[in-house]
Amino acid sequence: MFRRILQSQWKALRLPVILLAVLAFALPLLTVTYGGRLEGAPAGRVAQWLYGAQQIGLLLPGFAVLVGVLTGIGAWTSDHAGKHVYALSLPLSRARYVWLRFAAGAALLLAPTAALGVGSLAAAASVTLPSGVHAYPLQLTARFFLAVLVCYAVFFAISISTRRAALVVLGVIGGLLLADGVLTVMDLRATVTPTVLMWLTNWPGPLSILIGRWALFDV
Amino acid sequence: MSHAIETRGLAYRAGRDFAIRDLALHVPEGSIYGFLGPNGSGKTTTIRLLLGMLRPRSGSISVLGRVVPRDLPAILAQTGYVPERPHLYPHLTVREALQLHAAFYAGFDHGYAAELQAAFALPATRKLSDLSKGEMGKLLVLLALGQRPRLLVLDEPTDGLDPVVRRDVLAALVDFCSQGAAGAATVFISSHLVHELERICDWVGVLDEGRLVAELPMQDFKNGIKRLRLIRAPESVAGAPFVVLNREPSGGEQTWVVRGWEPRMAEWLDAAHAELREVADLDLEDGFVELLRASRAPLA
Repeated sequence: MFRRILQSQWKALRLPVILLAVLAFALPLLTVTYGGRLEGAPAGRVAQWLYGAQQIGLLLPGFAVLVGVLTGIGAWTSDHAGKHVYALSLPLSRARYVWLRFAAGAALLLAPTAALGVGSLAAAASVTLPSGVHAYPLQLTARFFLAVLVCYAVFFAISISTRRAALVVLGVIGGLLLADGVLTVMDLRATVTPTVLMWLTNWPGPLSILIGRWALFDV
Repeated sequence: MSHAIETRGLAYRAGRDFAIRDLALHVPEGSIYGFLGPNGSGKTTTIRLLLGMLRPRSGSISVLGRVVPRDLPAILAQTGYVPERPHLYPHLTVREALQLHAAFYAGFDHGYAAELQAAFALPATRKLSDLSKGEMGKLLVLLALGQRPRLLVLDEPTDGLDPVVRRDVLAALVDFCSQGAAGAATVFISSHLVHELERICDWVGVLDEGRLVAELPMQDFKNGIKRLRLIRAPESVAGAPFVVLNREPSGGEQTWVVRGWEPRMAEWLDAAHAELREVADLDLEDGFVELLRASRAPLA
């Protein structure tokens, strides 16, 4: 059952997934190309190289969000097209079907993750690092996988939700912004939106995985 | 008589203008039940309620002796469903759609499905998005029949199909019902094409504006609705042993359309000093129209 759903999902999403995998492979290599060669380079040159490599690393959280969005929304495209009638006519509970769909989409995330891992290993192997500088291909890959999984889960949930649920989410966001506006007008120091964002992006907030250092090369 | 489908007091509302009201269906097990009604009468909504896709406001639903929605997976495992509009994933090929569908049904009969695929001349490698309307209709029926279901629910399965495809689909249904292994299978088929159901159904339910107007054996539906030509027709029909669906004056006579007519009932007219000039059969479509007319504007 899972194999057939995975097969169906793969067929629906294979083009974007392959494209994302190619990009995932290329990004770590871009890190190396950007910095040039380091053999016998002076410390200033190494620091500059490291800075350049880390700037490329900043692209990775955004890329993880992109992968999560495309696969999360794509997981439901076929069912949306048929107004979910096929899924609802199948002899299994709705919860089980959702989990099967979720697992199949999560399995597709392995392709860009593996590509990023291979690209990172290739990039790390292509440079001779000076002492004190290290490559972290496996850590970066693991972090990327967790980040895409979180983003995938968020957009998978948003995509399956009803119009009413989407309106509720938008209403909450609007309410937060409105509360901030009111607090500002009243000249109070309390803020709502930054507090919520802080909660989301700081550990153990669900989006904390996207924040922080994403460098393939670091000290 | 046990029922494959039974609803009691079923009510559902969609928006301000449409509602299913106090629906009591009784679909005998092993029957081919035609669910008739004009477009927009609530046939598809009723089917979606029966299959647990919509939640009723009130009332109870029992399908194959189990309770909806509590036992839905078990019910759906024995139910083949052909929806009004194609619902399959368009990026799959015919073969992949078959494989995907079969994965959910333990008893899927691959041999029978292959036979039907050959009979329907469905190319295995063609993408569903490239299938014609007729081919898609055949595929939907193939998938439902391949499950070897105890209950087959078909929502306007031949709507929009050309006569040749329609004949193929109906022939496959009749074959399925006549096979020994599927002896106990119940078929619930909705349509607004009266003549199509006349050929295959043994029970009929008529739905109009969300209400069940009639539910009776097809034989009674065919033979029990008559047009009577009367002279000195009584003003009141109170106590009549039949149901007067419609009465219209024509010259010095009156024409009545009645339901549940039997020849011995002419005695009631004699007793009311009416003279019965003629009893004429109505064809099924006229009977259907008269039922709808009577339900929309009942006689006082």
